[in-house]
Amino acid sequence: MIPFVAVVSLRDQKSRTFRLWIPLFLIWLLLLPLAILLSPFVFIGCLFCRVNPFSGVAVMWQILNALTDTNIEVEHRSAGVSFHIL
Amino acid sequence: MNEHRRQILQMLSEGKINADEAERLIAAVEQPTSSFSSADSGSSATSKPRPKYLRVVVDSEDDGGHEGPTKVNVRVPMQLLRAGVRLAGLIPAPALHRANDAMHAKGVPIDLTQIKPENLEELVEQLNDLTVDVDQKDQYAKVKVRVFCE
Repeated sequence: MIPFVAVVSLRDQKSRTFRLWIPLFLIWLLLLPLAILLSPFVFIGCLFCRVNPFSGVAVMWQILNALTDTNIEVEHRSAGVSFHIL
Repeated sequence: MNEHRRQILQMLSEGKINADEAERLIAAVEQPTSSFSSADSGSSATSKPRPKYLRVVVDSEDDGGHEGPTKVNVRVPMQLLRAGVRLAGLIPAPALHRANDAMHAKGVPIDLTQIKPENLEELVEQLNDLTVDVDQKDQYAKVKVRVFCE
């Protein structure tokens, strides 16, 4: 399943935490028409680079699916950043 | 399980059951074991669960006292690695040759054209047993890096 939400947490020096929920599904919805419009160009570009365009699209879709549950945290004394894809 | 067999053989020797009944009983006792062992030998992965994530943990303890400790915790799904490997399999040959030349120039004798997607998939599978521990301590900081699968 493709990721729907990304959560970015920021912690400042005073231990105040700001949590930002990014609705990725809205981004996918916005990008979908663009992807459809650009697909002929991507297809031609793939053929030009001698890459099977269907394999390319399949792999990109797999990467998108696999992004779910990715977690990156950086903690420092003065600040902290956390990025979690749900 | 041997105890069950011994009991059945004991009953046979005492005449409580005949040979056919003993055979049926032994077969019934051994059936779950054989099915379990065949299932177990079918896939070695059942003994060890497949890893779901690749973890990179960096702990930096600042001995100088200015920067403070820093902790980095990265969790990457193994599926993402697999997809990345498949993406690498799509790289056209001219690009691989250029990458080979660049790596040879840096003294890394790896021929990327010889790496096939199926080998890379196997490589990702073998990451299950991977654990990298790096401890570095110098004048200013002590850094501990751990790479492992979970």
